[in-house]
Amino acid sequence: MAYRILIVDDEPALQHMVGEILTRAGYETDGALSCAQALERFHAAVPDAVLLDVMLPDGEGFSLFGRLREIRDIPVLFLSARDEDEARLRGLGLGADDYITKPFLPQELLLRLRAVLRRVYREETHSARLGETEIDWGKGTVRRGGQESALTAKEFALLRKLWEARGNIVTIDALCSALWDGPLVGYENTLMVHIRRLREKVEADPSHPRFLLTVRGLGYRLQREGTT
Amino acid sequence: MRLRGLWKGAMLVAASALLIAVVTLVGLIGFVYYNSNGGQDWNTPMEQLSNALVWDGAAYVFADDALLEEDRWAMLLDQEGQVVWSLRKPEDVPERYTLTDVAAFTRWYLGGYPVQSWVREDGLLVVGSPRGSIWKHDIAMDTQVLLQTPAWFLALFLLALGGVLSLAWLAVGRWFRQAQQVRDAARSNWINGVSHDIRTPLSVVMGYAAQMEEAPDLTPEHRRQASAIRTQSQVIRDLVNDLNLTMRLDCEMQALRKEIIQPSAFLRQTAADFLNGGMGSGFDVEMELPETPLPEVKADPFLLRRAVNNLLSNCVRHNAAGCSIRLGARAEGKELLLWVEGGSAEGALRPDASQTLEPDGGAAHGTGLRLVAQIAAAHGGKAEFHSGTPYRCELRLPVKQ
Repeated sequence: MAYRILIVDDEPALQHMVGEILTRAGYETDGALSCAQALERFHAAVPDAVLLDVMLPDGEGFSLFGRLREIRDIPVLFLSARDEDEARLRGLGLGADDYITKPFLPQELLLRLRAVLRRVYREETHSARLGETEIDWGKGTVRRGGQESALTAKEFALLRKLWEARGNIVTIDALCSALWDGPLVGYENTLMVHIRRLREKVEADPSHPRFLLTVRGLGYRLQREGTT
Repeated sequence: MRLRGLWKGAMLVAASALLIAVVTLVGLIGFVYYNSNGGQDWNTPMEQLSNALVWDGAAYVFADDALLEEDRWAMLLDQEGQVVWSLRKPEDVPERYTLTDVAAFTRWYLGGYPVQSWVREDGLLVVGSPRGSIWKHDIAMDTQVLLQTPAWFLALFLLALGGVLSLAWLAVGRWFRQAQQVRDAARSNWINGVSHDIRTPLSVVMGYAAQMEEAPDLTPEHRRQASAIRTQSQVIRDLVNDLNLTMRLDCEMQALRKEIIQPSAFLRQTAADFLNGGMGSGFDVEMELPETPLPEVKADPFLLRRAVNNLLSNCVRHNAAGCSIRLGARAEGKELLLWVEGGSAEGALRPDASQTLEPDGGAAHGTGLRLVAQIAAAHGGKAEFHSGTPYRCELRLPVKQ
């Protein structure tokens, strides 16, 4: 089922462009140029999420946000040309799911929207594939070459954190904080031990890893190419 | 510029205060000099009156009646205190005086009449004025104090002048700050408005250019052109963002949201975000951090990240792909030194030596580096730019005590 996104922006060219980007990415879209139109479309189109401009001809997006949330609690992302800290903090402080500053790249918009939708609508993936290795998130196990091995709690948390980063680098500080909820000091070596053990479970050749890669001086990343 | 304006304003007020003080002082001295005679306020000098009264061998004759005004009177006492001559003497003024009477009226009043006396060879000339017309006073002062009077006078004058100048300085400073705030607000509103108006069309340009880049039926040449449009739009976006922030820092309108920052974790996260955002693709980022933990700093993480990001972007912009960018930190006394260095890799193109990093350069990259310097200054630190190969920038920040 495709999610329906309501785009509220008083600039028709921008609305059209965002509509195209979302349609190509597989979303259904609806548009409104003002607060009044947004309320009308909100009732009629029943969207799953709203992209909301802050400055609209008949009112402020912040006020409209409150009225939309009174009607239905769905994800709202501000899409605004106002980049001051005050505006951003106000938007997020009101409870918006994200605040995207114009101008933005289509990919950035899609990634942020997808992240919000996944979080709100709980798109849980129960399994994943890393080359020849299958990961079962529900059971906390990995299977490679017909052999299943259980992940320890730390290995599971490590793999999950790296997986959720979707191919991006995760710093050793972020990993330590995910695993031990504390600062890095004293945990570097322990983290390396967990990484090595995890590689033994997910990599065909742990000495020459294809998926769990080290980014020298920074952290690690999980190569998502060839994964599902 | 601001200091010069303040200085000019203060000088103007000081000159005005000085002029007022000088005019008042000179006027006062002139008034006293013009109206007094021997420290007393009389219309006609006594010596003249005395000279006009002569003994012709038989009686006293007053030669010039016009010298004594209509409402005044005069009398001459002999050595025994007896009135021997008088002109318009009131009836209630006695005819004879004792030594005590003379001592009293020469100093104060005679039956309520203010009188003035003049010693002659043949007696004492007394001139009286109507009751209540003149206030008599008696001044006696220690000679030492009298000699010090000019110094006291000057000291009081300088004290008053100092007071006036201090008040003027405060008033001018306040007035100047208000005027500056009004100007800053106008500038801020203008830049905010312009950048706001640029952002929406730039979104459309960037959005369509990025979509075109991914279109499968595009020729390589058109794809390159679309990529150039997207990349240059991002440069404009960065420029608008930098311009906005630099203006806010300049006008002291950017509130610092300081947090305690662990430098190693901060640098690793900033570099990771830079690479994850695809901005450093084709470049190696090398981190150089000491084995020992670095001291914490109290800084606004958003601004500090922006500064390091600008330096990283600058290295990318001025180096050929394949170069390595090095960044690191170390403690130096009570300062933390964060540095970013963009050198050339072996076999890669050497960077153009003319593209030096200047904090106040006029080009697009100049705004970015000026912002770095401003962010460092806002945190009580400083930024140092070293041109040459490799390019190097050092941020010095005070460590948290």
